[in-house]
Amino acid sequence: MKRASWFQTSHHDHAAVTWPPVLFLLAILTVFLSTVAQAQDLAVNTVYIASSGNPALDQHMTRLLEDALGDKAAVRPLTNGQTATPDDAPIVTIGPSAFSRVRQANRRAPLLAMLVERSFIKDYVARNPGQISAVYYDVPLELQALIGKAVLPHATKVAIIASTETAGLYEPVVDKLPAMGLQPRVFIVDTEQDLIPTLVRALSYGDFLLAGPDDRIYNPSTIKHILLTTYRRNRIVIGPSQAYVKAGSLASGYAPFPAMAKAAAEHLHHYFGSGELPAPDYPDQYSVEINSQVARSLNIPLPDKETLERELDQVWSQYEGSEK
Amino acid sequence: MGIACALGSSAAWPQEELPADFSEGFYGFSDAVPEVLTTTRLRQPKVRVPGTTTVIEGDMIRDLGIMSLVEIFRLVPGMVVAEVGSSTPVTTYHGTVHYEQRRMQVLVDGRTAHRATLSDMDWQTMPVPLELIERVEVARGPNSAAYGINAFLGTINIITRDPADTAGVEARVVRGSRQYIRTFGSVGDAGGNYDWRLAYEKRKFEGFDYQLERDPVTGEYGPYPFHDGHDINVFNYDSRLEIRPGINTELRAGVVDGVNEEDVFKNGELGATANPDIDVRDYYLQTRLNVSPSESHFFHIQASYENFDRRQRWPILIPSGVLTCLENGIDVFANEDECLRTDDEGNPPLSARVNADSEDSRLELEVQDTLIFNPDLKLVSGLGYRADTYRSETYFNGRGNNYQSRVFANLEYTPINWLTLNTGGNYERTTTTHEGYFSPRVAANFTLNDNHALRLVYSRAVRTPDGFEQDPDYGFTLRDVEPEIWAEYEGYRVESVDIWEHPELVTLGEELEEERITSREISYFGQFPIDQGSFQLEVRAFKDKLRDMISGVIQFDDWTLDNNVALDQKGFEVEAALQYPKTTLRATYGYLDQDGWYTGPADYDEEEKTYNVELLGRLSVRHSGSLAAIRELPLGFTLSGAMYWADELRASEFQRLDMRLAKSFYRSDFTGELALTMQHYIDEEPDLSSDNNIEDQNQFFVEAGIRF
Repeated sequence: MKRASWFQTSHHDHAAVTWPPVLFLLAILTVFLSTVAQAQDLAVNTVYIASSGNPALDQHMTRLLEDALGDKAAVRPLTNGQTATPDDAPIVTIGPSAFSRVRQANRRAPLLAMLVERSFIKDYVARNPGQISAVYYDVPLELQALIGKAVLPHATKVAIIASTETAGLYEPVVDKLPAMGLQPRVFIVDTEQDLIPTLVRALSYGDFLLAGPDDRIYNPSTIKHILLTTYRRNRIVIGPSQAYVKAGSLASGYAPFPAMAKAAAEHLHHYFGSGELPAPDYPDQYSVEINSQVARSLNIPLPDKETLERELDQVWSQYEGSEK
Repeated sequence: MGIACALGSSAAWPQEELPADFSEGFYGFSDAVPEVLTTTRLRQPKVRVPGTTTVIEGDMIRDLGIMSLVEIFRLVPGMVVAEVGSSTPVTTYHGTVHYEQRRMQVLVDGRTAHRATLSDMDWQTMPVPLELIERVEVARGPNSAAYGINAFLGTINIITRDPADTAGVEARVVRGSRQYIRTFGSVGDAGGNYDWRLAYEKRKFEGFDYQLERDPVTGEYGPYPFHDGHDINVFNYDSRLEIRPGINTELRAGVVDGVNEEDVFKNGELGATANPDIDVRDYYLQTRLNVSPSESHFFHIQASYENFDRRQRWPILIPSGVLTCLENGIDVFANEDECLRTDDEGNPPLSARVNADSEDSRLELEVQDTLIFNPDLKLVSGLGYRADTYRSETYFNGRGNNYQSRVFANLEYTPINWLTLNTGGNYERTTTTHEGYFSPRVAANFTLNDNHALRLVYSRAVRTPDGFEQDPDYGFTLRDVEPEIWAEYEGYRVESVDIWEHPELVTLGEELEEERITSREISYFGQFPIDQGSFQLEVRAFKDKLRDMISGVIQFDDWTLDNNVALDQKGFEVEAALQYPKTTLRATYGYLDQDGWYTGPADYDEEEKTYNVELLGRLSVRHSGSLAAIRELPLGFTLSGAMYWADELRASEFQRLDMRLAKSFYRSDFTGELALTMQHYIDEEPDLSSDNNIEDQNQFFVEAGIRF
């Protein structure tokens, strides 16, 4: 991959010091002017935003990204029909459809995907390391499980339902939960007709249902049945995302937009510095959304916000520490 | 990595677009979330409920190895369970009843389960398999403000599992001591717009091992076989059809068929010579239209029809002297020496067949509307209508009807975050007394966050006499009369007015008034998140005044019912539950101090007065309680134990220890369970009645279940 132009400019100026004296002054002047230009270039490194199709969301994300980048880069929208960027400036795509659209239009563009889930982006990243990266939108399932444990401290068994194709999504967390004092069990749903019977069996096992970003299981047409069946069995659902909490899931972790923007800015700075995007990663800060109405309905005593936050922070730090 | 919490409301910015189908949020489809439903008909968390409500989850019922429906109520503070007659199960909250369980409203999925005109509960034939129980809610304390005139001491609401929650196939077989057999099977489907379930249960049990009676052949008094079992088959169909988002309809139907054995020593009038078993042929139909125009407004229209058809027939042998007394207008049982003998001509006794057949039906209509103005102001209101039809040659000499209509409402208002007020009432008219009654309830819940509430509750309720108490026409018609010399008695109706044992005490024909209760409650509910678990505590202190209570004898040869007893009762009850990893502990305790006195005719002798007061105290226990523990063990094993006791249950006490060990199997395409349950009766003495005898204090049950 080519370096950004201002790095290249800086490289050529360094070679000019061996020229004759007449030219030396010119060279000094050139170096001076070049330094000024470099400083100006620093201010105008450009990041392009590929629209999600939701203007309000795009504006919000653009503003946050501008704040996170500071004065070291400018953020501009990728115009309609624009397939390439000057000087290989990186493109930040908002949402999976924006990513796909830009990727199809220009397979060489450096892309930083935002608001995409790990499962969506991982194959692209594997094939194009350094060119494609992401700030994951989904929440680590280990964190979701810990949220379940914090809300329901006596929980020891975690029920998971997945299709044959999506069971792999839970493979890492299934291996890690026993160390957290939780015993997971995955119940496979093969057909749509099997969903509720399998869920009923899963709920007879687990203290709570851990829901991951699996659209085959959790989608608008299934979530109502899943939530109602779960609550009628006096069990709870953790995850899969903040939106589902509003719909009736008891709790979910989520990455706040500022945290995602901050992570994106760090990725972009890395790119500006090295010409390569770093490996995709989760943001370094999460929030927990809890549906206190559901908690009250199920007579689940929630600790106060500060206590829950402190406990989660502590166990998550311990978990991360143990992983390193 | 840092973590911050956002409790309650969503973040300022919508992090994610909501899927359109559930963008209305939680209340858009939360009809069946297990808040407490029973107390006011509003879905309320316990901190806002205007009264103490025990909720027993179906899973706990199954985990504790409870073997019959009525036994669930041993887990409810203040409730007592016993058997009367031929192992007929009875239960009540705060006593006052015995054979007939008249003073609690019992609902199954919102449908009245109480028998209509004979005002009784038949727990053995309830169309509710244990596997289908989602939870049982018991609103302790008068609840007429929500459910009308018979929710006098409390309300039991049995909520069965939604057909969507039982999709698939389930089967379970249980076998145990005293020929206990229970076989359950269900099949159903869910998803799409139509959820359904078809279920079958067979219950068979031999009852107690023996009674203490005089052997008719040898004349010796002692253990004698007890004919007190039952063999009941139940079929249920439950379904829910979603017509379009926000509108769905439920259809439920059920049939109960079988035999409830009655022992000739305990039942059967007029000299029964064989066991007067009851042939049960009940059915019900229920439909309900649920409409949710918005997340803040929903209503339902419900119609149900229930038919309780009982055929009870037995042969009799009447000494010829009885016929002479009947001809001469001499009260048979008041003059036993003269009547219960062979007549002066030495004629043979009359043999015939009689019956106590009865068929009573109930048609119920109900409209209930819920308005949620905002999270702090909610109103539920509705109208109800009920038509009871009774048909019995024996009890009513024909057929008749009673009608009830009512209007009810409850307003929940939270003016400030630490106070919730509930005001509710029910106005009802009934043709059994041709009067109208208003039953109010007001309550203030002082709350601390969502975890603690101190409640002050004041309520009043009435119970009106049922059709049989108020307007009986009791008599047995003789059929298949033999020998020939008594042919003139074919079709003759022997009426209770012909055979009184205590004619001077008979009150038949007197108009009974309603019973009244005024109840005051102070209760506390708290839930405490603790390290690795949670703890819940609910304490109820009560002080009740019961007036114009109907007491007396209700028998073929004795009818002394009257509004003749007053009761004052006070006490307290505790329910506590502790959950921590792999372990659930639960404890209940009830203390009841009941003081009664006679308020009927002053010229009755003291013994009669005392007797009438004591009749209401037969199931009033001073101390009762339960302890339960469920512990998950490695390898899929679960061990549970429960201890139940009821002290001062008449002259006896009940104590039993149950232990259950279960092993669960989770396979990719099925889940299975094997279990062994032991019931250990701690006391050798029979409880409540000297006839309730079990030979082995240890009773064993094995079960196997599978779910696909």
